[in-house]
Amino acid sequence: MNVPASDPQPTGSADWPSDWLRATLGFLALRALSAGPSYGYAIISELEHHGFGTIKGGTLYPLLTRYETAGLVTTEWRAGDGGPGRKYFALTDQGRAELTRLSADWLRFAVTSTHYLDPERLTKEIPA
Amino acid sequence: MTQQTNDKKWFDQLVMELRLRQVHGSAIGDTIASTRELLGDTGQRAEEAFGPARDYAAALELPSEPKHDWVRKALWPSLLGLLAFLLFNQAMVSWTRSEPLLVSPAQLALLATPVVFLAFLPLYLDAFIRRIWVCIGITAICVLSGLLSAFATPSSRAEAWLAIDPLPWLIGSALVMVALSTMNTIRSAHSEDDNDITDPLSGTTDITGRGARAIVQITNWLFPILAIAMLGLALSFR
Repeated sequence: MNVPASDPQPTGSADWPSDWLRATLGFLALRALSAGPSYGYAIISELEHHGFGTIKGGTLYPLLTRYETAGLVTTEWRAGDGGPGRKYFALTDQGRAELTRLSADWLRFAVTSTHYLDPERLTKEIPA
Repeated sequence: MTQQTNDKKWFDQLVMELRLRQVHGSAIGDTIASTRELLGDTGQRAEEAFGPARDYAAALELPSEPKHDWVRKALWPSLLGLLAFLLFNQAMVSWTRSEPLLVSPAQLALLATPVVFLAFLPLYLDAFIRRIWVCIGITAICVLSGLLSAFATPSSRAEAWLAIDPLPWLIGSALVMVALSTMNTIRSAHSEDDNDITDPLSGTTDITGRGARAIVQITNWLFPILAIAMLGLALSFR
């Protein structure tokens, strides 16, 4: 996976409440691996590029280590081109299944939340 | 330069924290390499990217060896070695003076102090390593009790609780020290390949690992080396 470097990130993307990122970073990291094996900096850049702000190594690596222990990802060291080696993370079948499950759950949760927060619905429920 | 120094300190702390958690050397090597990889990519300082080394080591939740393993492999042999060394010194002084080994209860209590501190090390190991004043305090107590035990040595048979021939104790304690050092040398030679911090790509041992290996060998023979030095001193002042 290459480090994305083109489109600017959405405005205010780095201002998400840390609780939201803590809750979602797991499956977002799995999603970042869905296109193929990737390494730490590329995963961080991918998430930043898609508007989730800059994730610190101290947050990402422990998460990936736990996923490796749980069998959701595998790791492999590859020699760099004239540079240092890179640790590549890749989704396992179990990891892919977990991503599918969590993505579906998140979509349902997001729809439910959006519906509940809908301003028109609020106006109807609370008459002036 | 300052950044390199700060990062070196951070990495030293990380290795220490992971070692305290009984994490295997290969997993430590993997962690160090992946951490360096990201720092190389981002240009960040280690503390900035990963937070305090202690917190990062805890957050990784790497698999660890059973805690009692180091007690069995390292603590008990060290404890026995210390006992043999203390006994050797007491017996040696009496033997060089051609006197019986005289023992009093106060002397025994003072000599037992460092042994007791060492025996209970697992209970306060974290504080001993992380807080310098705990380390200095306990070391000072052990040295002081050793010095005071010399003053508590009975000067005559009438004051002594026990009066025994020093030679068998001198030879016996020397044999125990040599046997323990030999055993530790063999054990560390076999375990080096297993638990060294290795680079995940090349499989080579970390430079500090090679330095540590020499220190381990010196530590293995510390009590016999000190015992020979003490014997030399005692014979020269006879």
